[in-house]
Amino acid sequence: MKLSGVGASEGVAVGPAFVPRTGGSEPERTGIGEGEVEAELGRFGDAVRVVAARISETAEGLRESGNEDEAGIFDFHAEMAEDPELASAVEERVKNLQSPEAAVLAAGEEYAAEFEAIEDEYLSSRADDVRDVARQISAELMGQADSGFEALYEPSVVLAKSLAPSDTARIPKGLALAFVTAEGSRTSHVSIMARSMGIPAVVGVGDALSGALEAETVAVDGTEGSAITDPDPETVARFDKLSQALAEERVALDQYRHAEARTADGLRIEVAANLGSASEAEEALEWGAEGVGLFRTEFLFMERDDLPTEEEQYDAYSTVARAFGHKPVIIRTLDVGGDKNLPGVDQIHEDNPFLGWRGIRMSLDTPDLFKPQLRALLRAAAHGNVKVMFPMVVEAGELLAAKEMLAEARRELEEQGADVGEIETGVMIETPAAAVCAAELAAEAAFFSIGTNDLVQYTLAADRGNERLRRLQGADHPAVLALIRQTCSAAQEANIPVGVCGEAAGDPQLIPNLLDLGVTELSMAAPSIPKAKKVVSEWKRT
Amino acid sequence: MAQRETTVGPEAGIHGRPAARILKAAKSFSSQIFLVKGDREVNAKSIIKITGFARKGEQVIVRAEGDDAEQAVETVAAEISADED
Repeated sequence: MKLSGVGASEGVAVGPAFVPRTGGSEPERTGIGEGEVEAELGRFGDAVRVVAARISETAEGLRESGNEDEAGIFDFHAEMAEDPELASAVEERVKNLQSPEAAVLAAGEEYAAEFEAIEDEYLSSRADDVRDVARQISAELMGQADSGFEALYEPSVVLAKSLAPSDTARIPKGLALAFVTAEGSRTSHVSIMARSMGIPAVVGVGDALSGALEAETVAVDGTEGSAITDPDPETVARFDKLSQALAEERVALDQYRHAEARTADGLRIEVAANLGSASEAEEALEWGAEGVGLFRTEFLFMERDDLPTEEEQYDAYSTVARAFGHKPVIIRTLDVGGDKNLPGVDQIHEDNPFLGWRGIRMSLDTPDLFKPQLRALLRAAAHGNVKVMFPMVVEAGELLAAKEMLAEARRELEEQGADVGEIETGVMIETPAAAVCAAELAAEAAFFSIGTNDLVQYTLAADRGNERLRRLQGADHPAVLALIRQTCSAAQEANIPVGVCGEAAGDPQLIPNLLDLGVTELSMAAPSIPKAKKVVSEWKRT
Repeated sequence: MAQRETTVGPEAGIHGRPAARILKAAKSFSSQIFLVKGDREVNAKSIIKITGFARKGEQVIVRAEGDDAEQAVETVAAEISADED
């Protein structure tokens, strides 16, 4: 049986299945006698102290071993255990003759429901934190301080509906080979924990998990986001090979991670990261990013009822600019279309949003949207090496209009005495038109960045989400390579650099092709960086 | 009683590390301290209540009752407005 979910931590593992006994069984005693109120409140207070002390101890242990982020989670839990509001909610219930072990679960559930009502992925995840802490206090009151992991004595794949931080922390070191959970997302604690433990995890497999609980053995692919129960010998052999290859590769690639990327004949190639939000900057640097080749700004505009202010945008852009210091950070202006609703922007339904009013087309028509973004970029440029690029350009006129608006924003800011920095302007080459007009664009642009994903889909007229069109989704199609070649030669004529920021840039098979064509910057998902640097180091000019 | 209005500074709003700093500041005073936003009022010494209470840029009133109310309001308001995540 194959389970599919979200690949939350990469790598593969095969091992015996282990299902932790679900702790926090329902309290048998739900009511107490009138004469017992004082004594029960005393027991609750003691349980809180024991649980808080135990959690703090875990935090200390994590902190000593250098896991500051994980330690923070446990500090938060210790504060929750001792929360005065939780205590008074329990006190009230106990005075109404509810047993403390039942009262703390009920009060915790109320707070959890409040968090879940907030439409914010981070805050709704906190609901599980409250439940976890309430469950620990309840278990302590019932004299069941066990973790559900006592029976775990050999390295195993842990299968569970969800895994709370208190669960993962109590798993003896080295005994968890991988996690598979029914619930969760990439930002759940279990995912963060798995990444910091360096073990694969597949989360959010849903109800399918219940069919897998009886399995003897499980093979987990955290990169793909899948797990196979009771795999046949061939599958096990394939996973073992994969696992060994990954382990060897990880060690072998470590020497490239923080090395400056150069080809075998000494040509400097910049290997950079694509970022989807400001919070990914630190991780990208840890993977060895030599800059940011594509910082998508859409995240600032999603999942909210209003538009982000100039100030909010400035904070996000300057955070990344500062994190990267003198290294270049290329920020792409807003690229959304009719398929995403923007508050305050007059959008109409489009049958074909990818061929619609999007990217630079929308920005130029909507100065109220575009101006604050340009102002924020100019101000952020005072704190680092910021560059801006415009998406969906099909002719030089659009670039000139955007540059004009940028100049206007700069004049306004300077009149207001704001601190602004120098900023280079570039063009995304992602439409066949832009590649064909590359010579005209090169006269006005400081750099090109080829977005291969869209360039492929527009050139081959093949929707990149359509499974049946797989054979038409590669950047190695001769028509696509011809457009890239044309772009690179126009750039060389004008003496401006060309980067690639689509998936092709991180593909070890395609990197040599791109270098052959004259690309000097490659920007990709951060975990692909060490391997890309290695491929670069083995290439040389013919 | 003392009170003061302030603007939430951290990018993440009141949660995570900023919430932990606000909580620590509040707990260092004997006064009762409340955060008020619109018609919602919460105990500033409760991590459960303050987590997610306000987003960056929102106005929050800090109110305190007790011997060290003045200083409590100043200290807690300073943590809320701090531009640090």
